[in-house]
Amino acid sequence: MGIPAQDGGGAAPAYAELHCLSNFTFLRGASHPRELVERAAALGYVALAVTDECSVAGVVRAHLAAKQCGLPLIIGAEFHLRCGLAFVALATDRHGYARLARLITRGRRAAEKGRYDLGFDDVDALLEHCLVLWLPPADLSDEARLLAMGARLRERFAGDAWLAVELLREGDDAARLATLTRLGARTGLPLAASGDVHMHVRARRRLQDAVTAIRLGVPVAQAGHALYRNGERHLRERARLAKLYPAPLLEATVEIAARCRFSLEELRYEYPQELVPAGETASSWLRRLTEVGLRERWPHGAPQKVHEQVGHELALIAELRYESYFLTVHDIVRYAREQGILCQGRGSAANSAVCYCLGVTAVDPAHEEMQLLMERFVSRERNEPPDIDIDFEHERREEVIQYIYGKYGRERTALTATVISYRPRSALRDLGKALGLDPAGIERLTRTLQWWDREAGRVARAGEAGFDPESPVLARLFELAKELIGFPRHLSQHVGGFVISAGPLEELVPIENAAMPERTVIEWDKDDLDALGLLKVDVLGLGMLSVIRRALASVAALRGTPFTMADVPQDDPAVYDMLCRADAVGVFQVESRAQMAMLPRLKPRRYYDLVIQVAIVRPGPIQGGMVHPYLRRRERSEPVDYPGPEVEKVLRRTLGVPLFQEQVMQLAIEAAGFTPGEADQLRRSMAAWKRHGGLGHFHDKLTRGLLARGYDRGFAERIFKQILGFGEYGFPESHAASFALLVYVSAWLKHHEPAAFTCALLNSQPMGFYQPAQLVRDARDHGVEVRPASVLASRWECTLEDDRALRLGLCLVSGFGEAAAQRLVAARAQQAFADVQDLAMRAALERRELEALAGADALAGLAEHRHLAFWEVAGSEPPLPTAPRAGSGEGIPLLTAPTEGQDIVADYRSIGLTLRRHPLALLRERLGREHLIPLAELATLPDGSEVHTAGIVLTRQRPGTASGVTFVTIEDETAHANLIVWERVGDAQRRPLLESRLLEVHGRLQRQGVVTHLVARRLIDRSALLGSLAPRARNFH
Amino acid sequence: MPTLVFDAVYREADASRPLAVIESVRRVQRIVIAGRAARARGVAPGMALAVALTLEPRLDTRDRDMDAERALLERLAAAAGELTPRVSLEPPDGVLLEVRGSLALFGGVEALCARVRAVCRRVGTRARLALAPTPLAALAGARAPRGHAAAPSPVMHRAQLIGALAPLPLATLRLPQDTLARLAKMGVTEIGAALRLPRAGFARRFGHDTLATLDRLVGREAAPRRAVVPRERYRARAEPAYELTSQPALVAFLAPMLEALEGFLRGRQGSITALECRLHHRGGAATRCRLRFAQPAFAAAPIGFLLAERLAATTLAAPVMACELVTSRLVPRRSASAALWQPGEHGGGPGNEAPELIERLRARLGEQSVYGLCLVPEHRPEAAWRIAEPLAHRGAGTAVAADRRPLWLLSTPLPLPSPAGGHAWPQYEGPLEKLAGPERIETGWWDDRDVARDYYVVRSRAAALLWIYRERQPPHAWFLHGVFG
Repeated sequence: MGIPAQDGGGAAPAYAELHCLSNFTFLRGASHPRELVERAAALGYVALAVTDECSVAGVVRAHLAAKQCGLPLIIGAEFHLRCGLAFVALATDRHGYARLARLITRGRRAAEKGRYDLGFDDVDALLEHCLVLWLPPADLSDEARLLAMGARLRERFAGDAWLAVELLREGDDAARLATLTRLGARTGLPLAASGDVHMHVRARRRLQDAVTAIRLGVPVAQAGHALYRNGERHLRERARLAKLYPAPLLEATVEIAARCRFSLEELRYEYPQELVPAGETASSWLRRLTEVGLRERWPHGAPQKVHEQVGHELALIAELRYESYFLTVHDIVRYAREQGILCQGRGSAANSAVCYCLGVTAVDPAHEEMQLLMERFVSRERNEPPDIDIDFEHERREEVIQYIYGKYGRERTALTATVISYRPRSALRDLGKALGLDPAGIERLTRTLQWWDREAGRVARAGEAGFDPESPVLARLFELAKELIGFPRHLSQHVGGFVISAGPLEELVPIENAAMPERTVIEWDKDDLDALGLLKVDVLGLGMLSVIRRALASVAALRGTPFTMADVPQDDPAVYDMLCRADAVGVFQVESRAQMAMLPRLKPRRYYDLVIQVAIVRPGPIQGGMVHPYLRRRERSEPVDYPGPEVEKVLRRTLGVPLFQEQVMQLAIEAAGFTPGEADQLRRSMAAWKRHGGLGHFHDKLTRGLLARGYDRGFAERIFKQILGFGEYGFPESHAASFALLVYVSAWLKHHEPAAFTCALLNSQPMGFYQPAQLVRDARDHGVEVRPASVLASRWECTLEDDRALRLGLCLVSGFGEAAAQRLVAARAQQAFADVQDLAMRAALERRELEALAGADALAGLAEHRHLAFWEVAGSEPPLPTAPRAGSGEGIPLLTAPTEGQDIVADYRSIGLTLRRHPLALLRERLGREHLIPLAELATLPDGSEVHTAGIVLTRQRPGTASGVTFVTIEDETAHANLIVWERVGDAQRRPLLESRLLEVHGRLQRQGVVTHLVARRLIDRSALLGSLAPRARNFH
Repeated sequence: MPTLVFDAVYREADASRPLAVIESVRRVQRIVIAGRAARARGVAPGMALAVALTLEPRLDTRDRDMDAERALLERLAAAAGELTPRVSLEPPDGVLLEVRGSLALFGGVEALCARVRAVCRRVGTRARLALAPTPLAALAGARAPRGHAAAPSPVMHRAQLIGALAPLPLATLRLPQDTLARLAKMGVTEIGAALRLPRAGFARRFGHDTLATLDRLVGREAAPRRAVVPRERYRARAEPAYELTSQPALVAFLAPMLEALEGFLRGRQGSITALECRLHHRGGAATRCRLRFAQPAFAAAPIGFLLAERLAATTLAAPVMACELVTSRLVPRRSASAALWQPGEHGGGPGNEAPELIERLRARLGEQSVYGLCLVPEHRPEAAWRIAEPLAHRGAGTAVAADRRPLWLLSTPLPLPSPAGGHAWPQYEGPLEKLAGPERIETGWWDDRDVARDYYVVRSRAAALLWIYRERQPPHAWFLHGVFG
């Protein structure tokens, strides 16, 4: 009898692991693909197959890691068929991979999202050029059945099928080996070793148990036999395997691996060909379309520079064979144009002269700064696929999507996936359940750890939440959470990333059902596609485009002449004056608090200033500490200098301060000697470093490169810090350039046509930063006459009446639908309404709809006041045109008219705004007695004044970048004010901060230029005062 | 009873701790009612638990228990029976007492209210009291918010009624939410305003039921109530002519008492789940024998048998002066249990004899000594079974994996000597022969009893099949864990 095996010793035979799940087999696999690959390489495996269950979602990540480690990667998948047969299929070549992808597609499409359903017939019909590894069940007692299964496999996959022997110390391995050897002999299937790997190292055993429990929805302690009894399902040392398996079984794995020659590198993506008319090549056709566009853009001839640029770009496109991509994008944009759907492209390739000519973008390549931007266009050596996102009007994007599906067919079109990963909160929640914590406790914990980036404070926080910080359960929870965070949880659909292929898409990547009916999603996300050089088009929805289209249509109607974006005058100083005043409610991108605070400091005077404005108020530049140096240089209070000529080249247009994501990459290339490929990796790592860390080797390389070019260490450190700061939050200039155009157009509309602009904003809700109440108030502040919603005059949408008076639409009335509104408008067109009964009858309105109208006071004119309107409505009979009019002969109800306060409150409740006085106007006397000043007076007080005031809370924001500060916006009848509540103050006065609708504030005025803040010291909830305006009906218990 | 929901789940709670009762409304846990300390932190009814926790992270919550509320209400109603025979329940949280007849008896309103409050305190809750000529008016008064302009004072005469009711919120009538909301939109939020509306128009808009509610409120229509019949206990006491000192004498004396109990139960179609027999001595505490029944019991004979078994195991400290029987509250009798067949007879199934056996064993050995075993699906052998209530898991048929496990497991694994530390095979009554293994069991991290062992099935020289394991952690000690039968 031998001594039990010990670590080490013995020869280590060659081995390839052929059965290995990654964490893309959700809630089974307990290691990232990268971890598996790196571990397999470290153990000296000949190859590793990643075989997730009916999925190849993780293989791109594995592929990238394998390329780095130099480990041959095999693409495969594990399947469990309806009949109970389980096997692993491994692709031998491109053809086999296509078949594997089709099999996965069939299984996934046949079942609801997240599941699959396959029978042997499917496998029989589809699987070719793949090797099959039969996974016999744990219980081998039903020999007859096993023999039948084996025979079937042998018959179908003769020479390509093996019987997997997985010895996992789950009982009597020797007996199992003997049984399987017999089974192999009787079915004629050769034996091969495999490990049923679920994790890269044994230490993931706990996490594997935990995700199993999460999958089953029970606590770990009750998961029982669903858990594995030991941690053997990891990548084991070859020396250990040698002691477990007879040598021929290990040799078989090497033989199988040698037959699997497929690599994801072989995937070649082909764009649809049908866009090229007969007699043309893709190249000639793109050239022709570009030339047509060139003549349209410059009827009097384009500048020489542009001609050269176009020629250069076309040559590059032809060389990289991207013509079809540009033709595809052009076709989508052309369709939208024809349908009158406003759209605009953005992204590196979008800002090319070619795209300008094709109408994909409106960013003028002749523009001075944009010249530099053009260098960012797809480059030969970078070999990075062109990136074009196209924004469409958000309400009409679906039409475009349906066009794409219709044109290319569902078998060639699908959305890209978004991998939804575990975040701190979801990880704690799921793990908490798995560890048997009660739901209230988990909630308590995740609440307290809401902003839990700082690990040190965690234990203390848990203590605050009533947990014993020393408790081992808590320690386990945090340990496991640390591992689980970042694990993929499920696949979701990308908002608009489309993949369109020349051949069947399912041979390129499996397709599965999305949560939305009629949508299908591929298994890879956009990083995966990028990594493989596959192309996609992002079809996105943008609310502001809807607003602009609507506003332009109104302006055209008002002016009696067609009016498009091209008719908006450029560089209007009045528009920039308005922006410099931070008068930007409703303007695209620059309407947020932070943007508004920046406007008066940045003082934009021209288009490129807006490009910077869009990009600068982002966590990247803020955390990287770029904002203040840039502003100082702009104000000329700090000299603009460059540490070297390379840096000057990259940073000249932003005065020596890196503001855009592209600039960071360019710096790495120009000043630190990165190759474009390395710079691209740096960009990807920037996105990931927060989650995984690991920028160390970039740091060394960057520092070395900069020192070698004569820059000093301090500069190198600063650049690196800026790179870290950019993280995933750096904003690309190529996107900012497109957005800036919309900033200008929307600002122009706001300044010159405020009624039309507000009307369009209201009709495009929900969108943007502000509620209708604030938009309407802002419009009235700018002199727009706003008229209430009324059954006598309103349409469904908001409209303009009598030369630029804004009539609120019935769409604002909560609980009132569009169909009812259309009936109402049609009935009104025939004859004016006599009374509520007449309205109810002729517009065929139900009681519920009438009540909605009464609630909005839209029956004013038919009923004396709101209370009577409700009485009338309550008495209306179901609409039966033949019935005699009821309601006459009843006594006159003794109903009091609502007070102004009641009306105001009812207005808010129904349409979310009031055209009557501001509620605080009613309370002003009371507030005045308490020496609480109106907000408008803040503007007149000196910096540092002690202020006592009060206002209605509009927004509370706690930006991730602003370390614990809460920003609160309050308003009264005179103005808005912005409060800064420091963490210390907020924590101590949590209740008034979180709960107040009407907030009294004591604090200190802080003024920087024209920007005024109130730094709060004391917060008091005064919401009860609002209650006094209109006592609410409530329950008494 | 404004705090009924709270009092039902927090009995004698520490008022200084933040407490709240929660329930799930459409999958969101919400606060139903909060204790004083929690309210002081801003925790309020209707608030989502998540929000409440941001206000008071230490909030201690319990789930709402409607059964307990109902039981508390019933206890209160039963206790109030000492004040007036006409008590009726107004679920979920009210009790109506008709006190017209009792007022004089108790010496006026003030004195009566004090009595009612005392009853509430005894039962463990607090009440808001209101006195009015109609039941609905009394309820409305009790529900009106304190400090309201119309803080209800006792209304003795119908003539004062409308004036007293007018300022009360309509919501105190607990009209349907929708009706209240619609009335509120017409500016009608108080009872007086509703009473002013034209009757026909009101009925057409809000239904005749709503109008009838108003009519009953002001006494235009009668509102009869059904009086409460509390669930009973049986209690009897008898004193023997001479002191009893022996078990047979006791049994003989108790027999007619048990017959009387059976007659009482038969008359009410009831049965009992527990019985306490108190044996009173001259001075000193009574001897108590408590019986719990595996199934509700009602017949004198089996109860007497069990009682005799228990008494046989009880040592009497002193002669017995009096015997007292107190039962649990009656539960309805299930007639199906009076089966056609006696247990064990045709088709009765041997399983049905088990409860009786268990009762007898428990009566003789004491409750703690009789328990069941059940298998737990667990990989760790020592955690793969546990103690259970007898019969509790009968028929659950826990599927146990096809693992080879010994029937007899050592409660503490026995260390086995191994000549070369953990690296050689151990000895147990001589050398051991390996039959199967290793089976590696490494699991259990979640409860701090993580194990990591390699198990082997071995045969000893005496031909016993043993289950031994070796620790995976150094020093790799060997243990004997089980013996196969």
